[in-house]
Amino acid sequence: MPLIALEGVRYRYPEADGPALDGITTAVEPGQVILLRGPSGSGKSTLLRCLNGLVPHSTGGDFAGRVTVCGLDTRVHLPRELGARIGFVFQHPDAQFVLEDVEAELAFGLENLGLDRGVMRKRIEETIDQVGINALRHRRIATLSGGERQRVAIAAALAMHPAALVLDEPTSQLDPQAAEDVLQVVLRLVADLGMTTVIAEHRVERIAPFVDRIWTIDAGRLQDQAPREAVAKGGARPPVVDLALRAGWSPIPLGLRDARVRAQSLAAAIPDNPPADGAGTVIARLDRLGYSYPSARAVEDVSLTLRRGQVTALMGRNGSGKTTLLRLIGGTLRPQRGRLHSEGRVAYVPQDADALLFAATVRDELRGQPEDVIAPFQAWLPRYPRDLSAGERQQLAIAVVAGQADLLLLDEPTRGLDPVVKKALTSFLRLRAASGAAMLIATHDVEWAARTANRVLLMADGEVYADGPPRTVLSDSLVFATQINKLLGRGWLLPEEVPI
Amino acid sequence: MIRHPLAWCVWGIAGLCAAFIDRNPLLQVLLVLVVINVGLPHRRNPAMRHWKIGLALAVVPILFSAALSRFGRHVIFTLPGIPIVGGAWSWEAVAYGASTGVALLLTVAVFATLQANVRSADLVALLPRSLYRTGTVFALSLAFAPKTIASFQALLEARRLRGQRAGWRSAPGLVVPLLLTMLEQALQYGESLDARGYGSRRRSHYRPLGWSLFDGFVIGASLTSLILDLVLSPQPYNPYLDLAPSLPSAASLLSILLLATPALRGTPRMDHATNRA
Repeated sequence: MPLIALEGVRYRYPEADGPALDGITTAVEPGQVILLRGPSGSGKSTLLRCLNGLVPHSTGGDFAGRVTVCGLDTRVHLPRELGARIGFVFQHPDAQFVLEDVEAELAFGLENLGLDRGVMRKRIEETIDQVGINALRHRRIATLSGGERQRVAIAAALAMHPAALVLDEPTSQLDPQAAEDVLQVVLRLVADLGMTTVIAEHRVERIAPFVDRIWTIDAGRLQDQAPREAVAKGGARPPVVDLALRAGWSPIPLGLRDARVRAQSLAAAIPDNPPADGAGTVIARLDRLGYSYPSARAVEDVSLTLRRGQVTALMGRNGSGKTTLLRLIGGTLRPQRGRLHSEGRVAYVPQDADALLFAATVRDELRGQPEDVIAPFQAWLPRYPRDLSAGERQQLAIAVVAGQADLLLLDEPTRGLDPVVKKALTSFLRLRAASGAAMLIATHDVEWAARTANRVLLMADGEVYADGPPRTVLSDSLVFATQINKLLGRGWLLPEEVPI
Repeated sequence: MIRHPLAWCVWGIAGLCAAFIDRNPLLQVLLVLVVINVGLPHRRNPAMRHWKIGLALAVVPILFSAALSRFGRHVIFTLPGIPIVGGAWSWEAVAYGASTGVALLLTVAVFATLQANVRSADLVALLPRSLYRTGTVFALSLAFAPKTIASFQALLEARRLRGQRAGWRSAPGLVVPLLLTMLEQALQYGESLDARGYGSRRRSHYRPLGWSLFDGFVIGASLTSLILDLVLSPQPYNPYLDLAPSLPSAASLLSILLLATPALRGTPRMDHATNRA
């Protein structure tokens, strides 16, 4: 008997024109791991929220069909009644924290279940060990890093001993190492406890080798496929799959381990040196720039120049000072130390793009922008900006703020974007660079940075410790290497550039 | 040391009542001193930074009253015939605005002190299951004061980034996006409470709340202060009738002084969560 069953699920949000979910029938057996993928706005979050009844109980709208979890019909049972059976981890952990400190947060769900103190204590201790957060147990949540918060969010859901865990893009805001840590926690739960897991994730390369099924959702329609069949057909997939398809490997490897055996047959060629970078004129010059918050230094002694025509990726773990550096250059913070000189119009797009969108329609948001900026948004012009998906809002925010800037400062612009939109963003940025603009982009997305940037800066503890072309900086790094580089080394970064 | 959050809540309610009922400037000054004394041991707590917001809020009614009121015999200066602000600015108008401003300052200060001492977890735990909806709203309101400030700052910055006005004059244009942002956050937060089983059955307590003798002492003193405030007729202050305040009664003074009880043992709540990420 399946743990989760969806039968003819059809759902339309209030006042929406079309359905968000359109006739979905599928099932999850106990212990299975499901990867949910799909373009931005395709209905991933809506589908996940059906599993614990938040859709339709919290959202309203027209719901048809049936979702059962552990035999309970979500139309009859409220989300709070399903809370003990489905552990739900939201995309933004901050949205789900109710209390101030970690241990109280872990206990919150257990208190809601009315458990005895002794049982609660036992479960909390076990969960702390399983998720590896003993060092955090007495910390205030406000003092945790993004990765730590996500692990606490998982632990809080897990402590309730749910039959299944549902995670909505749990690594979207995390640096590569923190994302790896969080996914390792999930995979350990799967291996040790046989936890049934449904996970929406854009960074499929880390999790693809471990999933039993892949659900691909597009325009509200779902395809439930075996992993190899799903990745062969396209969508978000690991770079090794792209390489395997080019090389004609069969069966298709889903992870590095499977691919290594086949990769030995590839020619031991060395990629060409990258073209000389930095030919454009200087648009911004930073001289020993520094900034400290009352509790910690954020940027220390950073000296660099940004030139027209450059697309520079700024990488580093969460809290390394990337956002502060962007804000200093963008003028929303004043440098406390050092000097900064920039020319032309500087535009900064923060991580939370929602704050940038005030107007009633996308048309109003784009009023006054040139035709070429408006063109990609024709289909959305009458829509309310905050009704767009996270990825769509991000694109719109970039367009309204950075449309005509000479120096674009983008903070995590690929967060929540699907591969197609990421590719479009790459084209847009390259076009702007070719027309003489410069870009400095804080990102955790190694694969996208390798594909988009012609220069990479690595930051740690407020300092820039590596600066150079992607092939130099992203090669042979334990944390910031692309999957193809981890597979082949020798300076290769992307599947399409490897000679077959 | 106060251990039970209920003691702080009763103190807070009594403090707020005093702030709004006693408009005699002498009593208001005394109450400010009392609240400062109670809050002083917790001055390093981030919540106490909200005092600054209280000070900013306190200035607004003074400016409004002084600029718009044309009554009063004690003239500070006279502006020529400028629309709205032209005419005689009086000390009476300033005093009237200051009385409202101090009440606002005290409101923020009392809430800051509560926020520094009471965990929202403990307050949510105090509510019975039958008040599930109330509890949700209560938890939301506790979480939302700081989030609203952060959202407002983010919106101001966003306007600046889009080359739009970002000063106080732009505030009306921010109201709708701010309300929408808060509404979205409130919905997310409510969903989180639901998804984690809040209100599904009778709650148990992981950390049972303990009582101390001092808690009872604080509750007794605060309730006495509250009763004195509510039962005794308040001493009104109308600067337009008499700029000099009357001397407060002994009972009024006592009702304010009783609110200083928490300062008698003002050790801050143990906080082992000071490490920074």
